[in-house]
Amino acid sequence: MSAIASNSTGGVAVAQLQALQAGDDAAFRELVRDHHRALTAVANSIVGQSDAEEVVQIAWIKAHQNMGRFEGRASLRTWLTRIVINESKMWLRKYKRERSLQVDIDSPQPLADRFSSGGHWSKPPAAWHNDTPDDLLMVSELADCLDHLLGDMPDQQRSLLEMRDAGGMPFDEICNELTISASNARVLLHRARSQLFKLVDHYQETGEC
Amino acid sequence: MLKCSELVERSDALLAGELSWRQRMSFRMHLFMCRHCRRYVKQLERLLRAIPGMHGKANEAEVEQVMRRIREDDQEQHRH
Repeated sequence: MSAIASNSTGGVAVAQLQALQAGDDAAFRELVRDHHRALTAVANSIVGQSDAEEVVQIAWIKAHQNMGRFEGRASLRTWLTRIVINESKMWLRKYKRERSLQVDIDSPQPLADRFSSGGHWSKPPAAWHNDTPDDLLMVSELADCLDHLLGDMPDQQRSLLEMRDAGGMPFDEICNELTISASNARVLLHRARSQLFKLVDHYQETGEC
Repeated sequence: MLKCSELVERSDALLAGELSWRQRMSFRMHLFMCRHCRRYVKQLERLLRAIPGMHGKANEAEVEQVMRRIREDDQEQHRH
């Protein structure tokens, strides 16, 4: 996990957390800068692209009002992700929008074509050469391909990836939110990760995506 | 003996610490002998560390838009 999701304050130093809770404007701007796009991606996976911006705006207002209640039990990213999920669900209820998430449990495992019929690697992973792990997906050449990949990903797979791997939410909580069984959720999350793995692997091998 | 494709399917559970002692031993034995799977698990870990930052940081205009709405909401609250 990166610093964003791994430590108890979500990559924010204690002094910065104190500043946030004291209502410091610059500290809150920094928080918005670090998390806004990831939170918009979570909302996007629940309410859809056209409403995601507005839902996240409302979520930021709630986060600002409730900053003093952040207890540091989860990371800041996870705390913010929960607020966005709640606001997304309220938005759907308020506007009575039925949005049934696509269930895509039958699609093939993205890495299936990399194995022989005996289950051995027929095309093993390339050696990835980026030195800094946190930059792996931030290569500018990958940006468009990453957008397309996430945009084409079935809703549930994308929600799982955004909530679990980007948002750091506990697995059980996500299964509840998405009303999905743990075993299906594991399969879908594995598919989402495998698609990203394939994208990075191909780029690392060929320099193209 | 675990196949490579099975190891890949279960690697998420390994990294999440969800495998039993017996399953972990079977994983370790496979990884000891298979450099492709060693590379896969190592690179999957790198990928998982990279995902939280994959959307990048907001630009100044996006930050200002959020802050403006917060200020407007504050003013609205004070009026009532």
